[in-house]
Amino acid sequence: MNEIILSGRGVVKHFAGLTATDNVDFDIPAGSIYGLIGPNGAGKSTLFNLITGYYDLTGGEIRFKGTSLAGIPTYRRNQMGIARAFQISKPFPALTVRENIRVGAIFGRPEKVDHEKVVDEALAITGIADIADRTAEGLTVGTLRKLEIARAIATRPSLLLADEPCAGLNPTETQEMVNCLRNVRGKGITVWLVEHDMKAVTSICDRILVIDAGRKIAEGTPAEVVSNPNVITAYLGAPIEEPAA
Amino acid sequence: MNRSLALLLGLAAIVVIAVLPVWIGPFYTRVAQLFFFSAALAIAWNILGGFSGYWSFGHTVFIGMGAFAAAHFVTQIGPIGSGPFSMVLPILFAGLLCGLFALVIAYPILRLRGIYFAIAMLGVGQVIGELVNNIRWFQGGVGVFLAAPAPGGMPPEDFFYYIFAALLVACLIISVVVRNSRFGYALLAVREDEDTAMMLGVATERYKILAFVLSATLVGILGAVYGYSVGYFTTYTVFRLDFSLNMIVFCLIGGIGTLFGPVIGTAVMLFLTQVLLSRFLDIHLLITGALVVAIILLVPGGILGALKQKFAGRAAVRKSVEA
Ligand SMILES: Nc1ncnc2c1ncn2[C@@H]1O[C@H](COP(=O)(O)OP(=O)(O)OP(=O)(O)O)[C@@H](O)[C@H]1O
Ligand SMILES: [Mg+2]
Repeated sequence: MNEIILSGRGVVKHFAGLTATDNVDFDIPAGSIYGLIGPNGAGKSTLFNLITGYYDLTGGEIRFKGTSLAGIPTYRRNQMGIARAFQISKPFPALTVRENIRVGAIFGRPEKVDHEKVVDEALAITGIADIADRTAEGLTVGTLRKLEIARAIATRPSLLLADEPCAGLNPTETQEMVNCLRNVRGKGITVWLVEHDMKAVTSICDRILVIDAGRKIAEGTPAEVVSNPNVITAYLGAPIEEPAA
Repeated sequence: MNRSLALLLGLAAIVVIAVLPVWIGPFYTRVAQLFFFSAALAIAWNILGGFSGYWSFGHTVFIGMGAFAAAHFVTQIGPIGSGPFSMVLPILFAGLLCGLFALVIAYPILRLRGIYFAIAMLGVGQVIGELVNNIRWFQGGVGVFLAAPAPGGMPPEDFFYYIFAALLVACLIISVVVRNSRFGYALLAVREDEDTAMMLGVATERYKILAFVLSATLVGILGAVYGYSVGYFTTYTVFRLDFSLNMIVFCLIGGIGTLFGPVIGTAVMLFLTQVLLSRFLDIHLLITGALVVAIILLVPGGILGALKQKFAGRAAVRKSVEA
C-alpha cells in the first residue's frame, strides 16, 4: 500500500453564507494520478485553493507528508513540494516561455540544482522546447496549458495539482496533455487532476474523488465511481459513459 | 552588449561627465545636474514601480522626508566631519529614516494592489507633507537651511553636478544588479502575476517590501542631497506632486521596467522642457503635457519598448527570409 502524501480531514470553507467545501475528507496515495470531479461550482478549485493556502480553512485540517499546512504561506507550501497548474492559465505575459519556467526553477524547492537543466527538462516533458524563446503573450490555449504544467514541475514538486489542464483543448491536444501528465507521474510526481472529460479522467486516474455542492459524494476506482448512484444523480441523472477500456 | 565594450563606454562616459562643466558653463551645468538628479529618481522609482509593478504616486514623500531629515540631523546633532564630508552622515541618516519609514508602512500598504497602492502612496505623500508643514518642530512652513559645504573654490553648481552624477551612476549600478539577481526575477514575477509567483515559491511579500525599502532609501538619499543643493527649503520645495509625477512620466516615456528607459526618458523630457521649450515659458507646460499624451499613445512601451519592437521585427523578418 502506498503511503499517503496529502490528506484532509473535515475540511470546511465558508464564503459569506455559502459553504463551498463541506466537511471533506481525502487521502491521496503517493505516486498515483488521482482524480477530482464534480459539476460546475462543486468546489473543486476551492479545494485546491485551500491546499495551496490561497484561502484559509474555515475548519478541518490538511496534512502534506504528515505535516499540518495550517499557517504556512503559499510560497512555502510550494517549496515543500506542492505545485499547481491553474484552471485559467496565468502566464507571465511579458516573459519568454523559458523565463516563465525559470521562475519556478529558481524559487521552487530550495536545493542546489542547475536551473537551466531543470528548465530544459520541464520544456522536454511538456513538449514545448521549440517555443522556449517566444514571449508567453499570444500563445495558444493548448501551449499555455503546457506552460502551466512546465512551470509547475520546474519547482520540483512531489505533488502537482492540475486544475482542468484539458479544458478548451481539442482531442489531439487533450491526448497530448494526458500523455504529458503520465510523464509527470513517471518522474515520481503525484498528480491530482480536476477534469470534466469523463473519458480522459477515467482512463488516466487510479482513483477518483467526487464532490457535489462542496460535499464528498463518492470515492474509489474509476469503475466504482461511474457506477455509483450518487454520482449519476449529481450529473443530472445522465448516464455516464463507461470508462475506456 | 560586449562586456569590454560596455566597460570602455562607461569609462568614456565618466571622462566626458568629468570635464563637461568646464565646457558648458553654469546654466547647462545646472540643467545637467537636474538631469542626473531626475534620472536617479526615476531609476529608484523604477525599481519598485517598473520591476515589481507597484506604481507609487507619492514618492516625493521620500524626497521631502530625506531633505528634512538631513536638515534636522544637522541642527540637532550638528555637522560631523568637515567640508563636503560633513554631508555624509546626514545623508545616510536621511536614507536610513526613509527606508525605515517605508518598512513600517510597507506591511499594510503593499497589500493594496494596482491603483489602490498608487493612490495610498499619494495619500501618504500628502499627509506627511502636511504634518511637516504644520507641526512647528519640523519648521516646514518657515523653511530650514542646509548649508552646502562645497570644497574651497568650486562653484556649488559644479559640486552638486558631480555628486548627482555619482549618485546616478550608483543608482544605475544598483538597478542593474537588482534586475539581474534572484531578487530582480522575483520582482518581475510579482509584476506579471503575483498569485502565480506565490505558487512558484516566490516569497512575494518579502521581495515587495525589500524593493519598496530600497527604492525609498535611494530617493531619501537623493532628497537629502537635493536639500543641500538648494540650501534653503520649505515643505513645498521638497514635497512636490510634480516630483512624484515626473518619476512616473520619465519612466513611461523611456520604457518602464527597463534598465535604461528611466535615463532615456529623463533625458528626452528634460531636453524638451529645459532646452527646447525654455523660451516659451508660458506655454511650456501645455506642450509638455501634450507631448506626454502623444508619446504614451504612439509608443505605449516607451522609447526603449518601441526600439526593441523595431529590432525584434527586423530579426523576425530576417529569420523568415533565411528560412
Ligand atoms: N472567493 C470566493 N468568494 C465567494 N464565493 C466563491 C469564491 N470562490 C469560489 N466561490 C464559490 O464557491 C463555489 C465553488 O466554486 P469553485 O470555483 O471551487 O467550483 P469548481 O468546482 O472549481 O467549478 P468549475 O468546474 O466551474 O471550475 C461556487 O459557488 C463559487 O461561486
Ligand atoms: Mg474550478
